Amino acid sequence: MTGRKRLAGSPDLSSSGLSRRGFLGGATVGVGGVLAADMRAVNGLRAEEIASELRRGEKHVILLWLAGGASQLETWDPKPGAKNGGPFGAISTNVAGIEVSELLPQAAQRMHQTAIIRSLNTKIADHGRGADLMERGRLDDPGLKYPDLGAVVARELGRLESTVPDYVSLYTSTEGRRKGTSGFLGARYAPLFLAEQMSPPNSALHESLSLDQHRDRAALRDLLSKRFTADRRNSTVGSHNSAYQRVQGMMASAELFNVEQEPADVRARYGPTQFGEQCLIARRLVEAGVPFVKVARAWWDSHGQNFETHMELCADLDHCMSALLDDLQERGLLEKTLVITLGEFGRTPTINASLGRDHFASAWSCSLSGMGIRGGVVHGATEPEGQTVADGEVSAGDLFATILSAVGIDFTHEYMVGARPTPLADFGSTPIETVLA
Amino acid sequence: MNPDCHSDPRLRTTSVFPVVNYLFTTLVSRAADNVLKPWPDAAFENFFSFRPFVVTTLLLGLLCIARQSKADEPVAVASNESAPQQSLLVDELARQIDIAVDEQNAASGVPVVEQADADVILRRTTLDLAGRIPTAREREWYLQLPAEQRRQLLVDRLLGLPDFDFHLRNSLDELLLPNRPNDGEFREYLLTAVQAQRSWSQMFQEMMLAAPAEGPEKGAAQFLKSRVRELDDLTNDTAVMFFGVNISCAKCHDHPLVSDWKQDHYYGMQAFFNRTFSSKKNELLEKPFGSVRFKTTEGEDRDAALMFLTGAVVADQTPEYSDEERKQLDEKIRNLEQKDDAETVPVSFSPRRALIDAALADQEQLYLARNIVNRTWERLLGTGIVDPPDQMHSGNPASHPQLLRSLAEDLVAHNYDLRRLIRGIVLSQAYSRSGRWTSESVPPGSQTFAVGASRAMTPRQLAASLMVAARSAESWPTVEETTANPEEWLKRRTDLENQANGWMREFEQPGEDFQIAVDEALFFSNSERVQNDLLRDGGDRIVGAVKAAETPEQAAEILWAVINSRSPDENEQQIVRDWISGEDEQQRLTQVQSLVWALLAGAEFRFNY
Amino acid sequence: MRHTDENSAAAAVTEPAAQTTADATVAFVPGQLKVDRTLRLPSITFCMAQHVQSGRVFCGGSDFGLHHFDPAAEKLETAPLSESRHGSYVTGLVNAGGTLVSGGYDRSLIWWNAESGEQTRRIESAHTRWIRSLAISADGSAVASVGDDMRTRLWDAATGECRLTLEGYEEKTPHGYPSMLYAVAFSADGKLLATGDRTGKVLVREVTSGEIVQSLETPVMYTWDPRARRHSIGGIRSVAFSADGTQLAVGGMGAVGNIDHLEGKSRIEVFSLTSGERVHEIEDSKYKGLVERMQFSADGTWLLAAGGDHGGFVSVWSMQTGKLLVQEKVGNHIHDFDLLSDTSLVTVGHDHASLITLAAADPSVEQPEAEQAES
Repeated sequence: MTGRKRLAGSPDLSSSGLSRRGFLGGATVGVGGVLAADMRAVNGLRAEEIASELRRGEKHVILLWLAGGASQLETWDPKPGAKNGGPFGAISTNVAGIEVSELLPQAAQRMHQTAIIRSLNTKIADHGRGADLMERGRLDDPGLKYPDLGAVVARELGRLESTVPDYVSLYTSTEGRRKGTSGFLGARYAPLFLAEQMSPPNSALHESLSLDQHRDRAALRDLLSKRFTADRRNSTVGSHNSAYQRVQGMMASAELFNVEQEPADVRARYGPTQFGEQCLIARRLVEAGVPFVKVARAWWDSHGQNFETHMELCADLDHCMSALLDDLQERGLLEKTLVITLGEFGRTPTINASLGRDHFASAWSCSLSGMGIRGGVVHGATEPEGQTVADGEVSAGDLFATILSAVGIDFTHEYMVGARPTPLADFGSTPIETVLA
Repeated sequence: MNPDCHSDPRLRTTSVFPVVNYLFTTLVSRAADNVLKPWPDAAFENFFSFRPFVVTTLLLGLLCIARQSKADEPVAVASNESAPQQSLLVDELARQIDIAVDEQNAASGVPVVEQADADVILRRTTLDLAGRIPTAREREWYLQLPAEQRRQLLVDRLLGLPDFDFHLRNSLDELLLPNRPNDGEFREYLLTAVQAQRSWSQMFQEMMLAAPAEGPEKGAAQFLKSRVRELDDLTNDTAVMFFGVNISCAKCHDHPLVSDWKQDHYYGMQAFFNRTFSSKKNELLEKPFGSVRFKTTEGEDRDAALMFLTGAVVADQTPEYSDEERKQLDEKIRNLEQKDDAETVPVSFSPRRALIDAALADQEQLYLARNIVNRTWERLLGTGIVDPPDQMHSGNPASHPQLLRSLAEDLVAHNYDLRRLIRGIVLSQAYSRSGRWTSESVPPGSQTFAVGASRAMTPRQLAASLMVAARSAESWPTVEETTANPEEWLKRRTDLENQANGWMREFEQPGEDFQIAVDEALFFSNSERVQNDLLRDGGDRIVGAVKAAETPEQAAEILWAVINSRSPDENEQQIVRDWISGEDEQQRLTQVQSLVWALLAGAEFRFNY
Repeated sequence: MRHTDENSAAAAVTEPAAQTTADATVAFVPGQLKVDRTLRLPSITFCMAQHVQSGRVFCGGSDFGLHHFDPAAEKLETAPLSESRHGSYVTGLVNAGGTLVSGGYDRSLIWWNAESGEQTRRIESAHTRWIRSLAISADGSAVASVGDDMRTRLWDAATGECRLTLEGYEEKTPHGYPSMLYAVAFSADGKLLATGDRTGKVLVREVTSGEIVQSLETPVMYTWDPRARRHSIGGIRSVAFSADGTQLAVGGMGAVGNIDHLEGKSRIEVFSLTSGERVHEIEDSKYKGLVERMQFSADGTWLLAAGGDHGGFVSVWSMQTGKLLVQEKVGNHIHDFDLLSDTSLVTVGHDHASLITLAAADPSVEQPEAEQAES
């Protein structure tokens, strides 16, 4: 850019960042410079010290969202031989005394990293409100929209000026697709929501601009905005500048969504399914510092042919979840990353005439692995036919309190919304100590 | 507990008495940017009972301010330039406003910032009344008007433009159907009502009655229709949006923080909506009978009276029905819910009609009037006289209770005329203060209205403003042309409104503690739309006009006049000189586009300041 | 399922119905279908077999065991065959010359004495994954089994020896998920064996050599939903040869909007085995769900099909026109049936067995206009 030379002489521009690049000169700086430096850390291909530097103090949550409602009987709470227990057997795991469905053979070998909760009673068995409840830990009150888990974690664990997104939500199937919501936390904590394509919108450089021009233009914007922002102490005005400061980082982090960047053997571990690819994206995001990633696997709503559906989907879940846990473990990330499997509810212990199981929220299961979790533990129990919780009942709020506690967030911490103190986990929630490390 | 919560720069308040100032800010002058904050210590709540706590904090807060103003010389006083403003006092409401605000600030020693300059007042007023930035031609017209008359002339011109109707419609839409930004029927209704200069009380009635109608009136029912599936939403949203009262906490128990609100109020409001249902034909109807029963916290089952927020109970004039009649009516209602051609059910007593009567009969609390006054005030000055605006109750006193009261009374006395109210507010000096705070000290709280607010534009304001700014100055008509040919302008403005509709989805509606999302910055930075539309080259485009400028100085003048509605300062002139080299055509185009982009994506453009 | 075919010597001698069948084959075309009696079953019942030797019907299902009942008894009631059971759902049952052979999701095959309930042979790992179905050759000498290991195995009914293991199916669907091999049938002459899998692939093989003589595709039956829900629900659930071995019917379900439910139209594709051409493509305009079991009439002029979504159906289709002859809703989802005679059948399903009579059309009653989608 020819303006650069002159700009370097302008005293006002010396702090703008323009002159620095002007000083560096040449039009070749762009891609080779900052982007590449970011990407090295991101790919994990180079210098481990960079990666560990980036990771310092960071905590993450990966939510594997089993949209539509997976059956507890075909996953974490098998009841072989019970009247409605279904055809699948239970298999022992690498933790003595714990059995899971035979559909989860790989997860069974990683039970030491995982705690199972078998006693969720969340009562709401319709998809919309069930998902509202399990995503937010409570239902909205009239006039008060609660943030979902991702938004809360993003706010509590994200860096304000983070160059990577702090809440990413992947939901490719169309059924039950939900963007997620930051509720009263506002747009800053809304998810980067990817549904149709696996790259963030508006993250690629426009064809008519070179990266250099793009960056110079951004610096010019910063410079011209200063007169306005200087005398205004207003967090909204401040957020405008912050948002633009994050643009370059977000553009660089678009590469995080590209699994082609991974070595073939790593991709092979996650397998060929879309869920596998998205679990790998989740690992890449977490490694780069993203606090919360939700990967939705839809659609488990097996009103017909429950067993066939779970043979398909559990195979996907078992393999991808296990690959993810192994990969996180090997990279030293599992102790900083909580991996959750959860949906909006479970499924009826009874089997309907289409060999399906219907919606059921009275006695169902989820799993927690990794950070802050005491592995090899089962909390709660259902009675032999699985119709009710027999022991250790857990509400949505309790589960939220547990999840937040596992990653070191004080679940009793209160936001003031208007005049209303609003704790992170609903009033009266109690974390499940037995599953916490 | 997040150890960083108090050092979070967005939440930090500094003061000589940090804690007191903090609480003072929280409770009394809760600025929009301070609404969301961690409760410092839950023990406070128990330690101080609520009301003494407020009083104590108020007193300590005033002390703080007194200290502050002693410590720091007032940073700015009403400037000499404000002399012409005297004439504004001819507006009765504006006078009331300024007396109330100034007296209170003087009494508390709050430093008051000078009046904004003419460019800022023009831009702010145009954004607030026309929903867009002024065109460069409107600016030329404004600046040549005699200084002592121009604000009034400006305001009265804007009040007469179709722009005002569009924007007021949009503002009411954002207030009433915030989750459905493009409900065509509702928007058509609002526009019809605003264009007909209907009173707020009439619009309230139309929305509450939701009488089956065809044509543009049909959409009045959308406020209730969109909520008909959830009785709690009907109840609380009506209370919040029409009466400024959020009673949802009183659903399960008497309100824990606000002694005003009991379960009786919540279920009393609910009783007005309990019979409302939607027919298969999607008409909003009422059942001929039905009541609300609730369980008190003591476990007692109670029938809710039709109780308005004031505690006034409306007599339920539902006739007695025999069991057999009820059965038949229930069957008819089921048919209405399930069949298109079902027979209607006669209703002799309408609880929603009763709510209208109760709200209009409320001469004491003036909930209906106070709410819309406060909402309008908040929209125009950034913070409500009661803040948050859905917390009108004794535990959250108004910053200027007398002013709110007298504005509400004036509204009632003038048939709920929103134009009169809006005119009064935008002609006040409180409205037209500069938003710059140059002192190192903490600026006065937002509820002092001593400093102009910087408000993020709404999606529609921003979209329409982008459409204005992306075109050359000459591509817009002069004020004279607009006046001479209002039909032509209506057509242009309608086109602009439609275009803006297509852009607004890219932006978030500002709410409490609004933060600009990185998505927006990415949209501006990389989207096809911005690059190919806003930055398009062409004779009638801003890019074309700037490119055609003969000198960098002229280019700067055009850029700032069209986009930022002012003239560039020396420094800005210099930047443009530095930036535009003009060596070849293509380079020059890219440079001009970058300048246009930098201003359109700039902070100054994004805000109504 | 499957009793020894009526053409076999044993059946012809012991079953009086066979005689009427022989007489009726020329003219009899069902036009009425009536449920005479129903019987509550002790569990979800997936398979049945007529035991012509005793006149009883045996069935197996979700309680892992076998039960039996006498369809001719005044009072219909079931009794368990034995205390001993499979380790999971029983999904295949055949009568091999008086001895019952069952297979199940526990991967095992069990030979039972139908009188004593004694297990006479048990092969624990007959397949490495779920056994989905069994078929018996017309002469009762060979049992075929199919399972989710995607193998077809031929067993000597008398010795339990595995004579042949046939492959030819992918273990994974094209989308990377476990596939399933649901359906198997012998031709009447016992020379051909047809199998069908989840993805809609049919293989017809020569029994002695295992050589593939015809490979057919019914891709619609796969029902993979690539976008909304990202799984599948259908698959080929039944195959049946015409008596002369020239046609093969393939049963499943048509395209599904919402694969949470069995809401696709029930679907049958009929192929000519000489040309490999599709002769009929039948989608039921009334009844939805899977076609779980089919049987041709002896003269090949009509096809009996049953299955269901939540509800069950029995339909009779003309194999000359592909049009519907008669159909009825029958209880809940039907998993299996067998003809007791040319005019009577037993169905078993989710919770009921039904005894059904077929009759020729009543000429005084106007026949409902058939309105099926037709190829």
